[in-house]
Amino acid sequence: MQAPWYTLRVIWACMKKDIKSALTERSTLIQCSTLPVNYLILMSLFVLSGSNAPTAVVMQETGRYAQQFYSAMSRAHSFRLQIMSAPQAHSLLLGGKLVAVVTIPPDFDTRMARRQAVQVTVQINNLNEDLTDDVRRAMRLAVTSFYARALPKLITIVPQEQDAYPQETDYIPFLSISILVISLMVAGLLQAGMGAAREWEQATIKELLLAPASLWAVLVGKMLGALVVGLVPVAVVLAVLIFVVGDWPTHFLMVLGVSLLTLLVFVAAGVMLGMALKQRIILTTLTRGLSVPLFFLSGVFGPLRKKSGTDRPR
Amino acid sequence: MYLSTLPGTGSSATIPRSRRPIRPLHGLTSYPPLQPERTSHGNAPANIPGHRRSTRRTVPAVEMVDLCKHFGTLRAVDHLSLLVEPGEIFGLLGPNGSGKTTIINMLSGLSVPTSGQVHVLGYDVRRNGRQVRHLLGAVPQETALYEELSAWDNLEFHADLFGVPRREKKARIIAILELVQLLDRKDSRVNTFSGGMKRRLAIGRALLHNPRLLYLDEPTLGVDVQARWAIWDYLLTLREQGKTVLLTTNYLEEAQALCDRLAILDHGKLIAVDTPAHLRQLYGARVIELETSTMSRAIKELRAVTGVKEVRQKGLRLKITTGGTDNLLPRLINIVSRDGPLRDITVREPTLDDIFLRLTGTSLRD
Repeated sequence: MQAPWYTLRVIWACMKKDIKSALTERSTLIQCSTLPVNYLILMSLFVLSGSNAPTAVVMQETGRYAQQFYSAMSRAHSFRLQIMSAPQAHSLLLGGKLVAVVTIPPDFDTRMARRQAVQVTVQINNLNEDLTDDVRRAMRLAVTSFYARALPKLITIVPQEQDAYPQETDYIPFLSISILVISLMVAGLLQAGMGAAREWEQATIKELLLAPASLWAVLVGKMLGALVVGLVPVAVVLAVLIFVVGDWPTHFLMVLGVSLLTLLVFVAAGVMLGMALKQRIILTTLTRGLSVPLFFLSGVFGPLRKKSGTDRPR
Repeated sequence: MYLSTLPGTGSSATIPRSRRPIRPLHGLTSYPPLQPERTSHGNAPANIPGHRRSTRRTVPAVEMVDLCKHFGTLRAVDHLSLLVEPGEIFGLLGPNGSGKTTIINMLSGLSVPTSGQVHVLGYDVRRNGRQVRHLLGAVPQETALYEELSAWDNLEFHADLFGVPRREKKARIIAILELVQLLDRKDSRVNTFSGGMKRRLAIGRALLHNPRLLYLDEPTLGVDVQARWAIWDYLLTLREQGKTVLLTTNYLEEAQALCDRLAILDHGKLIAVDTPAHLRQLYGARVIELETSTMSRAIKELRAVTGVKEVRQKGLRLKITTGGTDNLLPRLINIVSRDGPLRDITVREPTLDDIFLRLTGTSLRD
């Protein structure tokens, strides 16, 4: 049985040594930060291109109701609206630069005032079904919200929304969980795995195996070292999510606690993987390879599937 | 200091000394002595090669009994029994693949023997691995230094791993860095060091926790001549301090210069064990090399001469090993020159390579 102070000293020494070693390999640190952020950028670009269908509005009427209808469309979260003339809009639609052209007819206000039916023409470029569906849904939403605002007395059925969660979550903030988990996984596996595999590659494992210290103390020290270094890229990713994406966690301490525990799990897995693989290049390739399917399996396409209706039974 | 009671036996070989004097480690205390579980006195097998049958109650530094290590069908170590006494520099000499590193690995507990026993300073390596590792200082072939860290960081880490008392840690590290002449490079990363500097640092690190037995696996492999001499100097200093040194080498001059005793290994088997001087005496006191102008046909006649131990012919060169009687030379020249005039005559002492060749039939460098 070894003295507890000696065991603690070994843990501290291994942790300190691994932190120093890891800081000399900045490429790994950079990799741990950039990989999850790259996923965020990739998905954001994908979502941004899908959720803002370029749409022209031909305003043949500029009265109060016509303006309100335009405002309702702009609040539908699916259009990137541009006001233009009919020939210009037609030309751009044919050129594939627009997804839809919405024409507000010249008698829009008059007919609305008389409570008469109005026909708003929507020309759709149905080459991209995903964007076409976006426009169809958004137009219905725009009409409903226009009625609710412009003619509140006429609308007798108003949906009363009851949210499952206290705050709204947009798609990009929705990705935050997946991005954070991928960040924890990559940082944990890479930092701990590299620390372990490095010992075999440089044959320094002999220094550890020939020491009278308990192997458990050595492993705990290595894990703590990887945990500390792994927190750096995780902090970078968290900062991007908070300050760039604007997704401030409601329960910040809980996020920190769960992140630490998750990182610890991946650090332990990383040490095991590094000891088994014994080569840093294989470990890096495996970690990067694992992160891709896990990221997509983490439910990042869930909201998109629901949005495009692919979840609906056929 | 925690030193052995047996003084070094002294080496017959002379080596060039480096110009800078070697300073021994002063003022360093050590751990309390551990109580070994047994001594060789009375229970060591009498037939262990290398056992000097001392009447003193000393614990052997290393005791291997009928040690075997098999890797599949390969017998890396084959029924090896060996005894290393405290305070001596003991060499394991053999070509690559002769089992030297495997023996060292079993000694330190890095590898488990297939059968047999290993005791280090009285401790069973399998049962008391942790105690054994406390007493051992290891310099592996690969040096096993953290190249991305500084020399100081490497030593500090080792000191923490081996539980060097905190209050002594700094002083010890400085003393070691002075000893291996790297104090001025203490903050440099190891990956900026030359091969010789790395090897010196590895030796220094192994000494940091004041081990009683130091083992070095090919300590001068890949280092330049000057660095080799410096390393030899350190090792001889250690013997003066009473430490036991076990080293593996396939450099003959190293074995001759450093080792009090040598074990010659081939294919995992112990071929011979003795002092270098005695080995040379046993297997031939003189080697006479004659270069003839034509192939000599007098081999049988030469072998029949009293005092001739061995005759080998390679092309036009004859290598004759004799028992040391100097008056044999005119007679041998007379016999060989009958076939034609002699081109060259060399008389020298036998090297370990000659001995190895005699014992195994192959050259050490093969």
